[in-house]
Amino acid sequence: MRFIDALKTLQGQPLDGEPLRICLACGFTPLHLQTFLGAYVREAMPQRSIELANGLYGNLVGTVEAATDPGNDALVVALEWFDLDPRLGYRIAGAWGPDATADIVATANASLDRLGLALDGVPRSSASVVLSMPTLPLPPLFHTAGWQTADAEAALEEMIATFRSRALAAGHAVVSSQRLAELSPLATRHDLKADLLSGAPYTLPHANALGMLLAQGVVLRPPKKGLITDLDDTLWSGLVGEVGPEAVTWDLESHTALHGLFQRLLASLAQEGVLVAIASKNDGAIVQQALRRPDLLIRPEQVHPVEAHWEAKSGSVDRILRAWNIGADSVVFVDDSAIELAEVAAAHPGIETIQFPTRDYSAGRAMLQRIRDLFGKPRISDEDRIRVASIRTAEAFTREGRESAPDAFLAGLGATISLSFEQPGDDPRALELINKTNQFNLNGIRHTESDWARPPMGADPLLVVASYTDKFGPLGKIAVLRGRRQGATLRIDAWVMSCRAFARRIEYQCLRACFDDRSVDCIEFEFLRTEKNGPLRELLRTLTGHEPDGTVTVTRQQFAAACPALYHTVLRTRSVPADG
Amino acid sequence: MDEIERRLTTCFAGVFPDVPVAELRRLSQASNASWDSITAITLVAVLEEEFGFELDFEALPELDSFERVLNYVRGQVER
Repeated sequence: MRFIDALKTLQGQPLDGEPLRICLACGFTPLHLQTFLGAYVREAMPQRSIELANGLYGNLVGTVEAATDPGNDALVVALEWFDLDPRLGYRIAGAWGPDATADIVATANASLDRLGLALDGVPRSSASVVLSMPTLPLPPLFHTAGWQTADAEAALEEMIATFRSRALAAGHAVVSSQRLAELSPLATRHDLKADLLSGAPYTLPHANALGMLLAQGVVLRPPKKGLITDLDDTLWSGLVGEVGPEAVTWDLESHTALHGLFQRLLASLAQEGVLVAIASKNDGAIVQQALRRPDLLIRPEQVHPVEAHWEAKSGSVDRILRAWNIGADSVVFVDDSAIELAEVAAAHPGIETIQFPTRDYSAGRAMLQRIRDLFGKPRISDEDRIRVASIRTAEAFTREGRESAPDAFLAGLGATISLSFEQPGDDPRALELINKTNQFNLNGIRHTESDWARPPMGADPLLVVASYTDKFGPLGKIAVLRGRRQGATLRIDAWVMSCRAFARRIEYQCLRACFDDRSVDCIEFEFLRTEKNGPLRELLRTLTGHEPDGTVTVTRQQFAAACPALYHTVLRTRSVPADG
Repeated sequence: MDEIERRLTTCFAGVFPDVPVAELRRLSQASNASWDSITAITLVAVLEEEFGFELDFEALPELDSFERVLNYVRGQVER
């Protein structure tokens, strides 16, 4: 992004947008970095009104210490060496040289300790924290020649490595130094003239790159959920129908290792909970033989479903999306054929398509990185690990359910619902579900980590996370409901349930728990109609007898009249607030 | 308005969003209170990015109006 475009992006903010308050803590003139940071956040969240604040010049630690303001949505810390000791920068005329080295290292260590304590003091319910470790080269202040690492330099880097680990352990997001180096080479980052004359040490390209990465930490886009891959010249090299299952390759000896790397990445993604499926124009029986090869780097059970036949790929993708029960906008389709990609993209608007670059290794490396970026997530949950098994379970559930009377079928499931009454911010899976669930979603409102961690207004907040298991296997945490009591009414502002958990009457059990736990006479739902939340709309229609619109009230009597027989065993757990 | 002036006007419009485009040509530090040191740094960054030269900070105090900046930019571009 050009600087002028960043300025214009920030100027075009909606006047009535919900504010997103970002505190940028840095020890230098923040102008350029702040502008790029704000512009990238604004690009990703055009409906929000971005408000950027920063602390006093030269006082990064003090800014962080003061950043406990509950009004901040994000605290962005752009750390540089001179924040640890001004002598590690160019603007202070403090002594360099052997006599000062030990003191510089000791001062830097003390500054990092103070910064760590300041970060510990930022409550998780106040703001999400995004940090960048020092990005500028150290000045030539140590006794070694530039090619050689000085003891003091090694000590400083070790301190930073320890500090970074501490930040990660605390749940903060830390900008990848490697990615930054790809975008902004070290030698092009420092603008000595601007540093000395105006206190702005970054070149514009560096401020651009760092601002972009920091903004990604503020915005945290939801990761894609599924990847559909072609086979021939994509998952492997060669046409399996022509050369046979044993002759397709993905190894170094055959000079086709790019396909092997793709398989390794897919296997890794599958372990992380990404759904992987195959859409291939091929003979299904031959494909099954090839997929059974023991040297395949992704296990057959990690791939589901496999659509291998001669029909159009858009139809295959359609069936896969239905099996996964997710939208095209959550899915990436990889194929070596531009025509196939176009056919699928035309039939499934929103799907992300990637052409497999068969012989272009540079493009291949970029593709692997892009796929990683699209599916990257800060942490892997238990639900991620069981996702594919859970989808197979859901298919078995549906098959058996079709063959039995509903109540007899449900009664025989041996289902257990675990309802966990939690504190805001306790469980990152709750926010993940809220932000990626479309169909059974009360209003489609997405939340940042910080505004979700903030308790809803009201004296008696409620946050319920439901997990489910039955004879077909566990589905993990599948529903989240949030609200607060106002007198004899419980007002629900967020309610989602995974589509994998439909048709089990879990939603009724959740509502029954709400009525009972808070002893209320009625529940008000802050309902908003979205393009996709038909299942939630249908439930409210069933409960009230009319089409929902805006706030919907369901009384205890209405619920009792509409609630079908429930056969679950219900377990309840309750977490205690951090302050006791 | 020639090409340089058009590009400079775009730069000024980005740095001074509250000033109507028609008035940018008459803009000066004396007539606009928002033209402070921070704005000057912003303007320098925008000009260097747009025209690809490195602005001499010694000249900055003299560049206190659209007209003077225009003359400076012309001089740099013609070098």
